[in-house]
Amino acid sequence: MHRTVLNIILLVGLSFSLIVLISGMSAWRLPDNQQGYAPPQPIEYSHRLHAGELGLDCRFCHTAAEHGRHAGIPSTDVCMKCHRFVTASFDVMQDELTQADKEKRKPKAIVSDELQKLYDSLGLTDPQQPVSDSLSTSIPWVRVHNLPDYVYFDHSAHVTAGVTCQKCHGPVESMERLRQFEPLSMGWCVNCHRESTENGINGRAVRASTDCAVCHF
Amino acid sequence: MNQISGQPSPDRRLRRHTVPEPDSAPPADELFSVSRRRFLEAAGFAVSLAALQGCGRTPTETALPFAVQPEGVIPGRSLTYATTCPGCSAGCGLLARVRDGRPLKMEGMPEHPLSAGGLCAIGQALPLGLYDTHRLRHPLHRGEQSDWEEIDRLILQTLQQPGLSDGAVRFVTPTITSPTLKASIDRFLSRFPDGRHVMFDAVSCSAIPDAHERTHGVRVLPHFRLARADVIVAFGADFLGTWISPVEFTAAWRSRRAPAPDRPTMSWHVQLEGRMSLTGSNADRRIRLAPDEYASVLRHLHGRIRSMAVGSPPDAAAGSAPLPDRDLQELADRLWEARGRSIVLCDSQDVAVQTLVNSINHHLGNYGSTIDLERPGRQRQGNDREVLRLLDDLKQGRVSALFVAGTDFTHNLPERRSLAEAIENVRLVVSFSERLDDFSSLAHFVCPDHHPLESWADAEPVSGIISLFQPLLAPLGETRSILESLERWSGGSRSAGDIVRSFWETDVFPRSSAESFQDFWDQAVHDGFAEVEPTTETPGDFNAAAVVEVDATVSDDEYCLSLYSKVGLTDSRHAHNPWLQELPDPITKVTWDNYVCVSPAAAGRLELHDGDVVILESETGDTLELPALIQPGQHDRVLAVALAYGVRGTDRFAGVGPRWIGAEPTVSEGGVIGENAAGFIEARDGTLRYARNGIRLRKTGRRHELASTQEHHWLEVPPRVAPYGAEMREPIQSTTLAAFARDPSAGSPESHHQSDVQLWPEDHPKTGHAWGMVIDLNACTGCSACLIACQSENNVPVVGKDEVRRQREMHWIRIDRYYSGTGDEVDVGHQPMMCQHCDNAPCETVCPVLATVHSQEGLNVQAYNRCVGTRYCANNCPYKVRRFNWFEYPHEDELQNLALNPDVTVRSRGVMEKCSMCVQRIEEARIDAKRRGAPLLDGDIQTACQQSCPAQAIVFGDMNDPNSAVSSALNSPRRYGVLEEFNFRPSVSYLRMVRNREEEQHEGGEHV
Repeated sequence: MHRTVLNIILLVGLSFSLIVLISGMSAWRLPDNQQGYAPPQPIEYSHRLHAGELGLDCRFCHTAAEHGRHAGIPSTDVCMKCHRFVTASFDVMQDELTQADKEKRKPKAIVSDELQKLYDSLGLTDPQQPVSDSLSTSIPWVRVHNLPDYVYFDHSAHVTAGVTCQKCHGPVESMERLRQFEPLSMGWCVNCHRESTENGINGRAVRASTDCAVCHF
Repeated sequence: MNQISGQPSPDRRLRRHTVPEPDSAPPADELFSVSRRRFLEAAGFAVSLAALQGCGRTPTETALPFAVQPEGVIPGRSLTYATTCPGCSAGCGLLARVRDGRPLKMEGMPEHPLSAGGLCAIGQALPLGLYDTHRLRHPLHRGEQSDWEEIDRLILQTLQQPGLSDGAVRFVTPTITSPTLKASIDRFLSRFPDGRHVMFDAVSCSAIPDAHERTHGVRVLPHFRLARADVIVAFGADFLGTWISPVEFTAAWRSRRAPAPDRPTMSWHVQLEGRMSLTGSNADRRIRLAPDEYASVLRHLHGRIRSMAVGSPPDAAAGSAPLPDRDLQELADRLWEARGRSIVLCDSQDVAVQTLVNSINHHLGNYGSTIDLERPGRQRQGNDREVLRLLDDLKQGRVSALFVAGTDFTHNLPERRSLAEAIENVRLVVSFSERLDDFSSLAHFVCPDHHPLESWADAEPVSGIISLFQPLLAPLGETRSILESLERWSGGSRSAGDIVRSFWETDVFPRSSAESFQDFWDQAVHDGFAEVEPTTETPGDFNAAAVVEVDATVSDDEYCLSLYSKVGLTDSRHAHNPWLQELPDPITKVTWDNYVCVSPAAAGRLELHDGDVVILESETGDTLELPALIQPGQHDRVLAVALAYGVRGTDRFAGVGPRWIGAEPTVSEGGVIGENAAGFIEARDGTLRYARNGIRLRKTGRRHELASTQEHHWLEVPPRVAPYGAEMREPIQSTTLAAFARDPSAGSPESHHQSDVQLWPEDHPKTGHAWGMVIDLNACTGCSACLIACQSENNVPVVGKDEVRRQREMHWIRIDRYYSGTGDEVDVGHQPMMCQHCDNAPCETVCPVLATVHSQEGLNVQAYNRCVGTRYCANNCPYKVRRFNWFEYPHEDELQNLALNPDVTVRSRGVMEKCSMCVQRIEEARIDAKRRGAPLLDGDIQTACQQSCPAQAIVFGDMNDPNSAVSSALNSPRRYGVLEEFNFRPSVSYLRMVRNREEEQHEGGEHV
């Protein structure tokens, strides 16, 4: 009898894992390859809207990309430069304005659910309030592009050399939710270094070294 | 095991096969009993599923940006703050690299007028002391955690008790160079009719100011200006290692030690000492002299020099000198020849001996040139007379309140037990210690001070040079600056920053030439220091009558004990730093212990071997049990023991290092690191003496194995592998100044056999940069600051005593110490040895996985992630500089991980590592230059070892740039490469050592 029990357990286990595996097969990757990774973020921020539709330069928010190793997730006060005034989508705010105009009343403040999370994190009751460091907490963004600890990548070196952001990050301006577009594997890096040394970047000759110690130390 | 794996036990299996009971139901535990085969099937299935699971996503990682980003902060880029080193009272300039809010790396400040860019091992090790969970996080009241309000209330209440505030209130600190803190203490004590501030130095120089009080009428420590000295004669003073201000003195000493072919001059340095000190190991002439013989030699020297100066007859009553007449006359003649440009230093704690030294310096006209009394040093202000009076008062029960800050009072004094009993009778005992040390465990209140990197403070190490400490991070615990504690108890409520600032506004700014205080303050915070009008002393005329007859009789005791402070561990405060504990002593190369140094002759007489435990016994019955260490070059009568060991709380290191079946703990059960030798300090004639006679030595027959690195990683090459026709060359080469003046390339081996055979075809020429390094052995003192700098920069782990014994220390730089000469008179050479980045690297050709390869810029790089740990490379490395990670070497706790440099990979088990020539700094500088759009300039890149070298012995740069500093150093006639004859083509070169001597010396050394 005990054998039967064990067999049943094994059979159930096998079929369950097969289902899991087959569904996972479609995105078969080597370990650590995170290509296609698009985790949900604490705030449904849209790169398509900001970088695509509104045409903001990447470096408007990711200021450190030119100056340091990390491009940097913008600090929350950067968002407040616009979102002190823009508290909901344009259409919704426009509708309210027309409605208020029609009803001859003062327009109501409309705050979208997602932006409310932003104000909450800053501890603001009113978007017009000045931002204070003591009230605010950091927003726990989920990291999408993450290289292993033994790889040293410097944004400023690549931005200065004229590598476009899209070269590594893909068409971010069309992504509703940020997704890792390229494999970011070593072979992929080395290929680009070789090509750039051979062909230059935007017609400018560069020397992209393929020494181990350029990235690993 | 059987139950866990579900495997049946033998008796049950027996039952199943031999006694079948088909009808009965199986017992409950048989439900899960399966055959071995079945079990393995299931286990294999589970393992393969788990492996497949590994192909999934790595764990979710969040990235927290600032809510409000401070101006000028760029994530991942370090900011450099100018501050002051708190490691000792020398007050060296410090540049602290702070990365994402945490101080990571301490560097020397090149602009600083005293330290001139150097920083010693203690300064380098500060970050690990900061991230130390054993530091107190809360104030304590009678050993229990308390809060500041409660503490303030109780202390003020106690102070108001009748009979207490009008009794004797004593405030004990080590030398305080901070004018603000001194003013705060004075203000606090001014409330009490009998309040007194007593400065107590764990290793005191009290006799020097005392002697100046007698001879010049001012009780000050002069500022010694070694850069102006052509002749330096030092009696015991270890000024390059631990004495007063070693970094400043090293820079000054080194400035006179650079002979050039067109100007072959350098200072002449004679060291007369009993033990082998770091300074003695660098002297041109080293004379073995027991500490109790200093008086006699100085008296003879004084007699001769006085007779040359004023024509009086030599001291007839001096008796016979322990030195040959020829040597004495040479010392006197050369000092006299260089009068006004010479200096005599002495570390004796006998005031009469120091007055003799003053008299010699006076007759030589050194006051005003090499010895500055008008702008005195403030680096040692301890007054032993006051300390001894306090001890007396304590024992008589005359002290009503005792405050101690910055020193472990009871640990550093003799008669610890009676002192502790006396302290029990004091009605209020307050300690400001940052940890529970020997004294603070006796205190009623412990009010932990901030770590100096967390707080505002200031320092004026030499009159007129005043520097600032600024906080580099918010305090990690509920600690409070001593300035704030005193402010609260004096009725104020200002913060430490305000206290320092307002003191500067009222007391420091008027001494400056700046227009507005704001400008002056901003500039001082930016620079880390300010040069202001010195508060001058007006020394009186030399009082010849003060020079009393010293007792120059040399005792006929068998032994003379010399207590010394060890390089890297000058103070018991640093005993909690594992980097410093594992730092091999520059001379003995022993880690994690103190010991009795005995001369080879004495050891031979007693049949002692390294590690034999001996007992030292004083006349007063104190005993000390320590292992012996045979030290060549030591005086036969001298026994030398390091202070600052046996520190309470160092039992924490029991668990340091990897844990495996053969591991032995660094500290034995219930023990601490080393033994406290402070019990042998002798109070005599108003000073604390670190040398004493009347010591008996006894063997115990037991052994204690010392963890010494001296015989690890030998470079010696067996003659059978020497290339044909090539003369074997010694790793360290030296010559004399006389020979150098005749021929700048003197000292190089005569037969030159340089093979031009290239290992590689010329298909990858180094057309860009070619990184190289030159180390000047004439400048290097062996102080080991580079070793800790490298450890801090490159995340080099601490392995513990047992692993050091197994030759598994991980330091990327080792300082090889060579003795040459025979018998007891030895010459010492120090040679920093790290990866030589050979062009024809033997390690590269044997790596089966190409984990170690050559870069286009001449670096021998190591890709950790590719390394599989065959260790072939380490076997094939002729310089023995590769280090293998036998284990994971985790820190004691997570807090210490904050000291890790995020620019350098933390290596895992099974991986080979070695010096990378700070390739992370090369890349950082290269990217910086790219960003600026400017070419990479010479000097943009400084390796960690180079940056902090107090002697500036290391030059790094591009060998392809003909104008670089490294190229010009390579053109020096003193250049040579270690084991060059094998055609490894190392990228690291050395400059031959030049000793200021007449006679030819044999080159090379013997690795002992």
